[in-house]
Amino acid sequence: MRKYEVSDSQLISLYKNGNEDAFAELVSRHKNKIFTTIYMIVKDHSLAEDLLQETYVKVVNTVKSGRYNEEGKFLPWVSRIAHNLAIDHFRKAKRYPTIVMEDGSNVFNSLEFSEESIEDRQIKEDTHALLRELIKELPDSQREVLMMRHYMQMSFQEIAEVTDVSINTALGRMRYALINLRKKMDKTNVAYDKNIYPE
Amino acid sequence: MIRTSTQNDLIRYIYQETDTEENIEIQTAAILNGSLAHELHELEQTVKSITAAERVPSESTIDKILSYSKSYDLHSLK
Repeated sequence: MRKYEVSDSQLISLYKNGNEDAFAELVSRHKNKIFTTIYMIVKDHSLAEDLLQETYVKVVNTVKSGRYNEEGKFLPWVSRIAHNLAIDHFRKAKRYPTIVMEDGSNVFNSLEFSEESIEDRQIKEDTHALLRELIKELPDSQREVLMMRHYMQMSFQEIAEVTDVSINTALGRMRYALINLRKKMDKTNVAYDKNIYPE
Repeated sequence: MIRTSTQNDLIRYIYQETDTEENIEIQTAAILNGSLAHELHELEQTVKSITAAERVPSESTIDKILSYSKSYDLHSLK
């Protein structure tokens, strides 16, 4: 988990005053978590890209019109917008999320692996795709806490309040989510490859 | 046998919800208790795996978002 020298709250303040670089830093800082939040719901890379744009259009409109007031909690706020947009998409389309395998058609969408071979990138993406599938297989209560804490960056106290359980129950669910995920990874040979998961 | 409260504290520690004093307590306990150290390592590795498996949006999508922000004043004047 990274800590930044300039907080989200400080970046938002700069952005409110017209600093576009501050906004670029905020987007860069959280793009993967928000994108993954959307992707885990819609399971379509292209649609997730569209919904990510929609999410940030709402963010820009809210901040630039002076209506943003959730200081210090930027990521949970953006994550909620993204989550709601993804859910709304299914409501409008009268579809509901189902567990499907990823087709891997957009596996080379990152420009960050330029020094790797095509085969290395493929192995890494296959491993990551499998892990995302394993997350989907977790019991609902465990997956819910994992998504809220890891991707939406809600605190355990906030999760406890939203899901109407004690904080110890929320923590216990997260712990079992991680333990179950670990067991599933072991069974499917998703190893602790330091090339894939650097220390 | 590790107490459940301690195990839950490990989760809070990994997600940086513990304070400085609790951090020192957990780090000390992990040095003195091999089982606790092992569990902490396993949990940390699993969290790292989840982070590494995050998907990455395309550069063009990010560029469109940043362009929208830069041209917001133009949109709002229309």
